Order: sequence, then structure tokens, then C-alpha cells
Amino acid sequence: MSQLQVNRINDASGGVLAPISSVMRNRIINGAMVIDQRNAGASVTPSTSIPTYIVDRFIAYQDAASKFSVQQDAGAVTPPAGFNDYLGATSLSAYTVTSGQLFILQQQIEGYNVADLNWGTANAKTVTLSFWVRSSLTGTFGGSLRNSAGNRSYPYSYTITSANTWEQKSITITGDTTGTWLVTNGIGISCSWGLGVGSTFSGTAGAWAAGNFFAPTGATSVVGTNGATFYITGVQLEVGTQATSFEYRQYQQELALAQRYFHKVTANTGNNYMGIGTGVNTGTSTADIICPLPVTMRATPSASFTGDIYCYDGFTAPLLSSISAVYGGFYSIYIGVAHAGGSSAGRGIAFYTRNTAASSFSFSAEL
Amino acid sequence: MYKLGKIHFTQTEPSSVIRTSDGACIPFDPANTDYIAYLKWVSEGNTPLPAENT
Repeated sequence: MSQLQVNRINDASGGVLAPISSVMRNRIINGAMVIDQRNAGASVTPSTSIPTYIVDRFIAYQDAASKFSVQQDAGAVTPPAGFNDYLGATSLSAYTVTSGQLFILQQQIEGYNVADLNWGTANAKTVTLSFWVRSSLTGTFGGSLRNSAGNRSYPYSYTITSANTWEQKSITITGDTTGTWLVTNGIGISCSWGLGVGSTFSGTAGAWAAGNFFAPTGATSVVGTNGATFYITGVQLEVGTQATSFEYRQYQQELALAQRYFHKVTANTGNNYMGIGTGVNTGTSTADIICPLPVTMRATPSASFTGDIYCYDGFTAPLLSSISAVYGGFYSIYIGVAHAGGSSAGRGIAFYTRNTAASSFSFSAEL
Repeated sequence: MYKLGKIHFTQTEPSSVIRTSDGACIPFDPANTDYIAYLKWVSEGNTPLPAENT
């Protein structure tokens, strides 16, 4: 049996390739757009000037109402080889972006997950962003990497040469040696793709700048053409000067990574009970509930619900009316609730949803 | 719009804030982005509704 022993591997230009890690090589979570806890593949029109999560970890943002919609697998085209899903944006009008407006897709990477890049120091590491993209438009497109304060940005550009054809793009970015880059549970790096970016938020491509730029100057505006499409998948941000093959993670690994930021309990149709937590009635219509979390969340999560959530005490099962308080916790959270009543203080509670995917209970600790 | 929230008997001071648009209950955690948005709303001169006594 032959054996290969080397001290280093050089790329074609003589540069040293970074060692290929087998764990968390890709700093992007859900880069293959597989996990969609919130919307389960449904189309979403992002809120106006409020970041709207679509597939897990990916944000859509628009500064004017109803200029584009987003959806996992929008348009039902065949994904690039090796992928089963993509994130699709569709322009809903022919809109002229004003100077101070943004229309973007974005993932905000937690500081802990890019701490080893040493950005903001002399030891800053070079990274390579790669992704597959398909658009009905051709031309120069772009996005940016930014820090949490929005005072360090690297606008990047790429060219789509053929309409309605998947193309893989790769952008190598020298690490930023200045600025403040968080290495905590705050935003480490914001990675954006422009769909229409005003001049205020556009900068020179291919260079670090002390500004808040989301795209290169002159990039194509997707929202400028009614019906235009922009699809993306296979997003990877990794250390080194070369894009390596996409790091596939097992489904449960990718889901667990996403659940650090958002966790949704929902029941399918049929006689399906999905437990959320257990607790005790503190009155005829109030209860305290402890909800376990599947992974350690980034921060104490906000809690919300839709539809029918049951507070079963062995005698009666009143529906949840409201959540009145949340106590801190990364591993589980303690919530106070009000329900429809008819119970008694001291009775234990099984807290669950059942029989419909329209009812859910969610925990959010997004960046 | 927001409303302060607390658990019935153990607390005299609110521990959460409820976003009235969707009923989301937001902890007083400075790392929670919903809480950061609430603080920004307060800094703009707004005042939350008081907590209900339950």
C-alpha cells in the first residue's frame, strides 16, 4: 500500500493551501438551504425594513413593501448537481432603488464561529466565499462581508454570464487586519447578497472599506426587473484561498446548528401529539411551564406561538391564551402562561400541540 | 407596541416584555435581538404598557 506524506500543499500560484478541516470547514449554516423550520417551503414576502428569516439562518430584507418574495425552491427549477434545495428570490415589480434603500439576502455568522479568523489583527486569515447562483438576469452582481458595527465592509462582485443557468462563483477575501470583529455570541461576520442596493450602501468592489456597504457600486438590481429571479445554494465560507467542495453535514447536524438560533415545535396532521414542556397550574387559568431546548441556544430565546396549544392537567385541556413572562436560560426556559381556565392550582400540566401543522410554539435567539 | 410581563406570584418587577403585534414574549437578555429592538423602541421615547397582575 502506498502512503502520501506531505508537509504542505501549494495552490497553482504557489500559495499554501490551508489544511482542509473536516469539522465546520463551512462557517455558513444551512448553506444548502435544506432547513426551513419557519415556512416549510412556503413563499414569504419580507416585512418592510425588518429582517425576515426565510430558510433557517438566512435573512431577507427590503426597504420598500412587496418588491420581492423569497421561498425555498422558488420556481421549482432543478438545483445544481449535488443539491436538492436552493433559496429563491423573485422580483414582484420593476422598482428603482433609491440611494438609501437595501434589498438583500444575508446570513449573520456568530462571532464564536469565526473567532479563529483573527480578523481585526495582523494575523487575519484569508477566506473564500463560494456559492451556486442562477438568475434570469445577466451582468455584474455582488454582495459584501461586514462587521457587526457596520463600519468595516468588503464589497465583492461576480458575473452571471448565462441567464437561467446555475453557475458556481468563488470570491477570495483577504482577512481584515483592522476594525472590531466580535468573537462572542454577537454578530461575527454578516455575509450579504445584493438584490438592489442604493448608492449610500454601495462601495468599491474588492477592497476593505471603513463604511457600511452591502454591494459593489453598479451591481445589477434584481428588484429593478419585474419577475426577475435570483436563486442561490451551496453557500460556503471557509478559511483559505481556494473554494473546496461543499461541506455536507448530516441532516441532524445541520438542524442542530440552526436550532441554536431558532427552534419550532409543530405537530403534523393526524393524531399527533408534540410535547413542548411540562409545568404546574398556579391558578385556575395560569401556569408555569419549563420547556427543554434541543441545543444550547445563543441567548435566552423569545417565545411565541400560533394556533392551538394545550395545557392538559389530567382533567381538562384548556388552550393557551398568552405567554406572560420568560425567564432566562440557554438549555431550557421557564415561562409563565395564561390559558382558557377551568383548572386548579397545583395540578400538573402537559404542554403540547397536536394534529395540525398550523399550530406551533417557537423559540428565537436569532442574531 | 410592547407590554411588560411578569410571572404572577414570584415577581414584583417585570422580567419580560411582550410584543403586542404577535404576542412574542421577550426576555430581558441583552443578547436577545428582540430585546435590543425593544430597547431601541424605548430609547425613541416610547413607553410599554404595564404588566398585568395575574
